[in-house]
Order: sequence, then C-alpha cells, then structure tokens
Amino acid sequence: MSAPSKRPELAFEGWTPRRPRWVEIATSADHKDLGRALIVSSLGFLFVALIELLLMRLQLAIPENTFLSPVGFNRMLSLYGATSVFLFALPLALGLFYYVTPLQIGARGTALPRLGQLGFWLYVAGATVLYAGLLFTPSEAGVNPLAPLSELTFLANNGVDAWAAATGLATLGFVLLAIDLVATLRVLRAPGMAWRRLPVFSWAAAISSWLLLFIGPVMLAALTMLLIDRNFEGIFFAGGAGGAPLLWQHLSWIFFTGAYMLVLIFALGAIAEIVSSMSRKPLFNRGAVIGSLIAIAVLGTLAWMQNMLTAPIGVGWMYFAMIVSLALIVPFGLVFFNLIATLVGGTLRMRAPLLFAAGALATIAIGLASELSHSLVALAWRLQDTTDATAATHFSLAGGAVFGGFAALHWWFPKMTGRTMGETLARFSFWTMVLGMLLAFVPLFLAGGFEGQPADAYKFFDGTGVSGYNLLSSIGAFVLAIGIVMTLANALLSREGGAPAGHDPWGGDSLEWFALSPPQPHNFDVLPDVRGPRPLRDIRTAIGQRAARQPEPARESQPVA
Amino acid sequence: MTPNSSGADQIDTLLWIGFVAATIVIVAIVGALLYALRRFRAERGAEPRQLTGDRRVQLRVGGALAAFATVLMVAGIVFTEKAREAPASGPAGLHNDGETLRIVATGQQWLWRYEYPNEAFSYYKLVVPVDTAVELSLVSTDVVHSWDVPSLAGKADAVPGKTNRVAFSAEETGTYFGQSATLSGQAYPAMRTEVEVVPAEDYEAFVEQRKSDIEAAQERVVGLIESGETP
Repeated sequence: MSAPSKRPELAFEGWTPRRPRWVEIATSADHKDLGRALIVSSLGFLFVALIELLLMRLQLAIPENTFLSPVGFNRMLSLYGATSVFLFALPLALGLFYYVTPLQIGARGTALPRLGQLGFWLYVAGATVLYAGLLFTPSEAGVNPLAPLSELTFLANNGVDAWAAATGLATLGFVLLAIDLVATLRVLRAPGMAWRRLPVFSWAAAISSWLLLFIGPVMLAALTMLLIDRNFEGIFFAGGAGGAPLLWQHLSWIFFTGAYMLVLIFALGAIAEIVSSMSRKPLFNRGAVIGSLIAIAVLGTLAWMQNMLTAPIGVGWMYFAMIVSLALIVPFGLVFFNLIATLVGGTLRMRAPLLFAAGALATIAIGLASELSHSLVALAWRLQDTTDATAATHFSLAGGAVFGGFAALHWWFPKMTGRTMGETLARFSFWTMVLGMLLAFVPLFLAGGFEGQPADAYKFFDGTGVSGYNLLSSIGAFVLAIGIVMTLANALLSREGGAPAGHDPWGGDSLEWFALSPPQPHNFDVLPDVRGPRPLRDIRTAIGQRAARQPEPARESQPVA
Repeated sequence: MTPNSSGADQIDTLLWIGFVAATIVIVAIVGALLYALRRFRAERGAEPRQLTGDRRVQLRVGGALAAFATVLMVAGIVFTEKAREAPASGPAGLHNDGETLRIVATGQQWLWRYEYPNEAFSYYKLVVPVDTAVELSLVSTDVVHSWDVPSLAGKADAVPGKTNRVAFSAEETGTYFGQSATLSGQAYPAMRTEVEVVPAEDYEAFVEQRKSDIEAAQERVVGLIESGETP
C-alpha cells in the first residue's frame, strides 16, 4: 500500500452536453475538439492514401502491367499526391499543433477560435471537393500538375479544376489555422512563459505557422491563376500565348518545398519533446535547436529551385538552389546532433513514442542524405524526376509525417483520450513499418539512381533492368501498409480499451501534462507561475523539496488497506 | 548504363561523390542513434546529469557541418562546370570547321522530332556523328517533356515558349536509349527516344538520304495535288 499521492489523479468525466453529441462536435470552436477532428480525419486520409499507393504499386509490380489504365493510374497518382500532402501530412501536423500548443503555453483556448473552426471546415470542404471528383473525373495531371499539362488545352475535363479548388480550400483552411496559432502564441502565453521558455514543440508550431503565412498565399495565388486560365481564358501559364509555364513551377515549388520543411519541423519538434522527456534530461542546446528550426524554415523554402534543376532557368539560379540546399546541412545536422546528444547520458525508457521517434530520425536522415546528393546540380540532371527522387521524398516525408506523426500520436494520445496506446501492438507495427519502408523505397533508389527509371510512369518496360526492383518495392509497400494499419487499429482499440494514463504518464516537462487527461474545456483550473523552460519539472521538484522540509505527519490513524 | 561522353562521365563521378556523401551521413546518424539507444537504458534510481548544452561543442559541430557542406558545394560546382564544358569535336568527327552541329529537338505528345541543319528531320530516332560536338536545342509544342539519354548527357526539360540546351560529344558509336521523366499525359511512358551514334560519313549519308526522301515525298504530294488526283 503506497501513501496517497500528493495530487490525486482526477478523472474528468466530461460535462453534460446540452445538445446531441454530433451537434456539439460540429459546432465546437474549442481547440481540443478541432485539433482532434483534424488528427482523426488526417489519419483517415492516411488510410485512403495507402489504398491509392497500393493500387499504383500493384500496377507497377510487373513490367507493362495492365491492371490500371493509363488514365486510371494518373488519376490515382493525382489523388494520392493531394491526399498525402493536403489531407494527411499538413492537417496532421496542424492538428497536433492546434491541440497541444495552447496547453503547452498555459492558455485556456486559442485567441481566434472561430477562425480556427472555419479553417477546419474549409479543410473538410477541400477534402469533399477532391473526392467528389471521383464521381465524375479526378485530375490526371500528377502530384504537382505542371503547366501547361494542367491547362484546359491538354486536360479538358473538370478534374484539374476540382483538384485546384480542393487544394485551394484546404490551403486557405491551413492559413486560417496558422493565423489563429500565431495570434494564440503571441497573446495567450501564461504568466512567465517567455519565448525563451517556450517548449520546442510550441516553437515548431510558431515557426510552421509563420511559414504557412508565407507559402500558403503563394499557393493560393498560383491556384487562382490556374483557375482563371482554365475557366476565364487566362494565359498565366499557357505555353504559346505569352504565358509562362515556369511561373507555375516557381510558385508551386515554393509551396511544396515549404510544406516539406513544415512536416520536418513538426516531426523534429515533437521528437525533441519525446527525446528529452524519455531520457529525463533537458534538450541539449535548446537554443541551437530552435534557431536551427527557424533556419530550416527559411533556407528550406529558399531552396525551391532545387526541384527545377533541369528546367531552363540559367545556371546561376541552379547554383543558388544548390548552395541554399547544401547550407541546410548545418541546421539539420545541428538538430540531429543535439537530439542524439540528449539521449547520451540519459536514462532511456524505450516506450513506443521513443521507438517511433528514433525510427523517424533514421528515415528522415536517409531521405535528407539523398536529397543532399540531388542538390548537386549536374547530379540532379541524372537523378531528378527518377524513382530515386520519389524514394528520397518518401523517406523524408513518410519519415516526418508517418513515423514522426505516429511518435507524436503515441506521445499525446494519453492526453487526448486519458488512455495509453497498446505497447505490444505498437512494437509489432513499428518493426513491420521499418521493414516495409526499407523494402518499398530502397529498391526505388537503386532503380532510379543506377537505371534511371522515370518517376510517375504508369508502366515500365521489360529489359530495362528495373523489374526486380519494382517487384520488391510493391511487396514492401504492402508490408508498410500492414504496419501502418496496425497503428491505426491500435489507436482505435486503445481509445476505449487502453490502460488509463493519468494526467502525466511520461513524466513530461511541459504544461500540457499539468492538465487533466483529457483536459477540461477550459484546460486548467489554476496556472502555475512559469519560471523556466521545464515548468512541470519545476513543480515536481518544488513538491519534493517541500515534502523533504516538512516530514509527513504520522499515519497511524489512517486505515491500512 | 555506361557513360559515353565527357559530360556523362563527370555526372557519373558526381553520382559516386553523392552516393558516398549520403552514405557517410546515413551511417553517422543511424550509428550514433543506435549506439545512444542501446547504451543509455533506464536504471532504477539513477538520475541523469541535467546537461543543458555546451556552446563550444555546438560551434565545433556547426563548423564541421559547414566544412562538409562547403566541400560538397565545391565538388558540385567543379563537376557541374566540367559537365557543362562545351564539348569539342575530335579527328574522327564531322569536318565542318570545328563548328558545333546544331539540331533542334522538339518534344510533342508523345514523340521527339529532330531537325538537322540541312532541314532534314526524323522522328523518335536521332542520328549523330561520333566524336562531334552536338548541341540540341530543346523546345516543346505542347507540355513539358524532358530529354534524358543518361549515357550521353544530363537531362534537360523542353518547356513550351523556352529553349533549353544539351550539348555532348559521343565517344563511341552505338545506340543509346532515353526516356522522358516528366508526366506529360496518358502516353507518358511512350515518350522515349533513341540516339544512334554513327561514323561521320554515315551521318552525312543519312541526312542527305533523309533530305532527298523528304523532298521526293513532298514533290509527289505537290504533283498529286496539281494534277487534281488529290483534292
């Protein structure tokens, strides 16, 4: 029998809703409800994206396969690209930011809740428009529909219009969520929560939101121009009539490169929280990590022309893209160094979040290392747009959004539901995903790097030396999918059946672990005075010291259980 | 795939530099990660030292990373400049006073059209003389295509409204395949090409033959129209 704990574990049973539950959810402007809705829907779209990926990999399992028609494949490709970027990766990152940041900074909500609510519903509208496209004709123009293929002349049906409207609505939603986050972070920090004491994940939220405020409008402008071109006889991106197809490439790559960096900043921010709490140490060189995340946002977005090294843009711009891309070695390297240095000398508890965090670091490292070779100008003339580039992008982004996203999910799941996710299933899922990831994408590195297999093609030819690689990759995609579905199932099962977690299952340092699990609508009854970057640890220490000064009264009178 | 021009050779060297650099990065990070995860497990009652950072370590690591990045930048620029060097014609090449042989390559859904200096043209297959500096002007009549024959040169995009350039001087005769790597619509995988490198005299014979064939065909068509057999 242990002594009664200092802070009894309160179980929050929820307040009695005045209206039916679905009305409450649909009309809620609470950051926790919206954040959870974003996370749940993005994980749902991860499942959809997996199905699309598997259909494409089935088509590419054997040479000159006829499982999917050429048009069918291009539609799958376009849907997959839009789903995985706009409906999965970005909303998952934003959903976790939106849920966790107000709790971490000790706020009772967000500053502009109705704006955030509008942002979420615009995202829902975007998703609806994209998949309503399935009823008639989805886009056939690929992951990034390069003009002039996306122009009316070449794709005369409404697919590209639906794609542009869908991604535009979602992007507008993300920008509104980012505005809300920026405002919240500026005005609603708890007393004493100076910027220098802000948890790294909240810093990541701030950096990502500011980044979205820059890249979001660029994409919205490009999409508007595309819609004008297609519907009102515009010539912004038209090939012949005085338009500039390259303009689309510049604008869209600014957005996509920035979004790429956003996903990595999100993942690295979450990993920083997990690594320091799980090793019971402060983050090594906190300031340098935060500075590096800012540098990644700035330099990473400036490296947009790294995607255009084969386009007619002048060699000076190519060198600019290369130098900016290679300069990213310093901030990324510092973040990796400091995260690993935090582990060194710690007392690690190898629970699922740390496992997924380590997996994310390793996969992101593989992706970024290959991006590094893609930045060498003349080498890009060999590797760009081959399956080597596909593999590099997937290692970075699946590393960030799937492995990193799952690490964050396992980490904050107890806060959102009051229950921890099953550890055994998490381990099985993790190792299956690692195997699947390597099997699915390492062969694509080899097929693209050494045999030059072009990316995004609906078929490949026998005798080009890539048949074995593609078969392995297709098998790997199925293994990866099984691993991912295991974690999705784990989340579903643990929501009701997981082990009760209490308010602070991991021994966290930041304020979200001070709130109940799940938090009350107003987050906190009382706010502690923040005196350092690890406020909850300060509270624990203070309680320990007080207990040491005033020995507990004798307990003879208490019943012995 | 074996390189068959000095430009492709430089790219091949750079491929290995990139491969080695990427391998170093991956091994260093994954190795350090595995070491840290295996070595520092939780022990009952052990409280780790609360190290918050070390500015000197940070500067040293940052300096080392910057040095690594600089080495790669220099290697990238040096080999890119070498790959971009205007190729020169050799003794076995076409004798046209050291002039570069200029050919216009037009990308169109889903076929490459090659136009030779004497106005002869060919589809899909490009014939070039060995040991001769060739410059392709890449243009497109519809969407973006990329011209990519890795044995001969780096890939470059043909963008409508713009002209891109690829230059190479093939070292040996033979047939080399290439395929576009930019999604261009339904038949995108069919956007392939073949470059046949032949001795200089064969090239001259080929373009003359093409020219006279094309002229003969055109004359026949003109004749048919004039005689009223074809409306």
